[in-house]
Amino acid sequence: MKPHSLLTSLDPATVPDALASHERAEIDASTRGPVLLFFGSAVFWLLVGSVLGLLSAWKMTHPGLLDSAAFLTFGRIRPAHLNAVIYGWASSAGIGTGLWLMARLCRVPLMHSKLLVGAAIFWNLGILVGVLGILAGDSRSVEWLEFPGYATPILFVAYACIGVWGVIMFRFRRPGHIYVSQWYLLAAFLWFPWMYATANILLVWQPVQGSAQGAVNWWFAHNVLGLWFVPIGLASAYYMIPKVIGRPIHSYYLGILGFWSLALFYGWNGMHHLIGGPFPAWMISASVVASVMMFIPVVTVAINHHMTVRGNFDALKWSPTLRFTVFGAMAYTVVSLQGISMAIPSLNALTHFTDYTVGHAHLGLYGFFSMMMFGAMYYIVPRLVGWEWPSATMIRWHFWLVATGILLMVGSLTLGGILQGLALYDPIVAFQSSLDYATPFRWLRGISGFLLLSGHVVFAALFVLMLLKIGRRREGPALFAPSDGNKPEAATA
Amino acid sequence: MTAGILLLVGGLVFLSGSALAAFCWAARDGQLLKLREAPLTIFDDDEPVGVPTDRFPSRK
Amino acid sequence: MNRLPLIFVGVLAAFAASWLGLVVYPYLELGHMQPVPDEDTGGYFPPALPGLAVVGQRVYAANGCLYCHSQQVRPGPLSTDIAKGLGPRRTVARDYLRSQPVFLGTMRTGPDLTNVGLRKTDANWLHRHLYDPRPVTEWSIMPSHRFLYNMRKIQGQPSEDAIQGLAGPHAPPAGFEVVPTDEAKALVAYLLSLKRDYPLPEAPLSPAKK
Repeated sequence: MKPHSLLTSLDPATVPDALASHERAEIDASTRGPVLLFFGSAVFWLLVGSVLGLLSAWKMTHPGLLDSAAFLTFGRIRPAHLNAVIYGWASSAGIGTGLWLMARLCRVPLMHSKLLVGAAIFWNLGILVGVLGILAGDSRSVEWLEFPGYATPILFVAYACIGVWGVIMFRFRRPGHIYVSQWYLLAAFLWFPWMYATANILLVWQPVQGSAQGAVNWWFAHNVLGLWFVPIGLASAYYMIPKVIGRPIHSYYLGILGFWSLALFYGWNGMHHLIGGPFPAWMISASVVASVMMFIPVVTVAINHHMTVRGNFDALKWSPTLRFTVFGAMAYTVVSLQGISMAIPSLNALTHFTDYTVGHAHLGLYGFFSMMMFGAMYYIVPRLVGWEWPSATMIRWHFWLVATGILLMVGSLTLGGILQGLALYDPIVAFQSSLDYATPFRWLRGISGFLLLSGHVVFAALFVLMLLKIGRRREGPALFAPSDGNKPEAATA
Repeated sequence: MTAGILLLVGGLVFLSGSALAAFCWAARDGQLLKLREAPLTIFDDDEPVGVPTDRFPSRK
Repeated sequence: MNRLPLIFVGVLAAFAASWLGLVVYPYLELGHMQPVPDEDTGGYFPPALPGLAVVGQRVYAANGCLYCHSQQVRPGPLSTDIAKGLGPRRTVARDYLRSQPVFLGTMRTGPDLTNVGLRKTDANWLHRHLYDPRPVTEWSIMPSHRFLYNMRKIQGQPSEDAIQGLAGPHAPPAGFEVVPTDEAKALVAYLLSLKRDYPLPEAPLSPAKK
């Protein structure tokens, strides 16, 4: 007999428009092509981006490494790494996850999949052209927007297809309640083209004059983080956590509050990257205030997630998705609180321009977003291919390699960054000291790069094995999973 | 320069307008009520509340 | 729940305001600043960049110099940039009028370059450093940019452009010389032009530093 809570059976508020079981399978199947295409792209760029990142890291401790050719110089490899991981890995994984979530939450099979397949092809083409363009020396040197002007329209076309698709799906959704994840996804899908277009126009195609570029640049870069990646990551967490554990979100009201306060405050944060810079004081101050106000959405989300998982932390033992998702959710809280502290001018005077910022960036994009995406992909892919992940051991290796890797990376850059910052701050200390302090920590960061790359290779292997359907056949899609009570035998890890 | 301003202001109006429209629609459609039932919409008969839906692949 | 529309309008206003404040305002105001006239010479502050330096900006952009070098001097008392000798005064928006793109930068893996043209006035030194940093500054982790240079056999007389005083593993063997490509010359011209030692109405020089 299927165990479900008596409370749900008796509760008159149980929503009557629940999904019929065979329809969920149909919806999952309809998303298979586009989602797997985006996930496959994401895995490819993850590997490329990791290699570029590893190279950048070791070039800092060994400046003579591969230094003879122009296309391999640090100043090109580093932005190539950044753009490959932001647009190639993270955005592709986010789009794939978003597509699947939208289909599930709209409760209709995915429509116009050819549009999405076209979008995926254009997206990858744009990134390839962009990364090669950077290596060839055409980088715009605008942080987070280095792709040359001949690559960005390709990305924009791809993105337009996705945005249009999102609106269509939403229009044709099954009537009923709109789940909080959908709010986040719709917002992300609408915010991204707006900020991408604005930034491209004002920084690449018709560059605005003078230091205004800095303002627009960091309005854009920080918004990519907070109004594109954060909403997608949170949309995934708000779905995966309750779905995996089998408990609804603790407080929906907090969820709504978190969403609107994110929208309210985030857009003003950008200038905290330029504290002390050549701008009117009010712009910087407004950013500091807005950054501190971020406390509200961040704590709201943290409370909500924690209270939902509370009492079920052993789920981390038996669910790969939850393990990665909760890691990501905790990282989100930590990196956001850290970011708020970094916006305070007195602390900023020490940490600005140092490796501390680099550590923070990786805690956010990797510790939060990438881990969140791994969690989502572990949930979604089996439901698309109808197959179990072939090896629990490989999943555990993936997790421990990347978790250790990112903790080592962030830890070493944070400590090194503080020492570097103290040296940069002290008027009587020579510049050389800041390098001397930072170097041993940069070595540790380089080692963490190997851990991360190894973890990614394991994950890529798992993904390929799934595509080839090697391994155990799943007992049907998730909805037909045997109802063997509450907790399956814990995989020892 | 005028093209730039038109673009910026036009974009602002478009985005704000659509967001406002979205919100008013949501309020009218009753999306902002029923906050207790809303989190239950992701569950159903086959994946009900109380049953986990993920696990490590077993070794058998 | 009937307060929600009001909340929403507030949210919308703040969200749109961010775009106005951080995009539109900079575009309209900071982006359309004009240089101020210099009474002494009849020129303007900030001075126009020499032609080669304008090209040099593109070389700076193509090779990602800004990922290690910032170009901004922050004001005291919170910052010690001026006390550390990064420049005689803080930089302000008007200083970047002639820059395309604007290389504010967010990292100081290497020193800030706002006033490198004041500290390093010898083009040959800059060429030596770009060609191979470590024989010049032994603790430097800057990569070699020797791909911006050509090593060739000396034809008769050594070239006027040849870099003097090269040492280390990439120094030219006897009978060879290293000459900068046009890109290297442009880049060095750009670096030499980096100085903010002129006063501006919003950023005067203190009397001791004039």
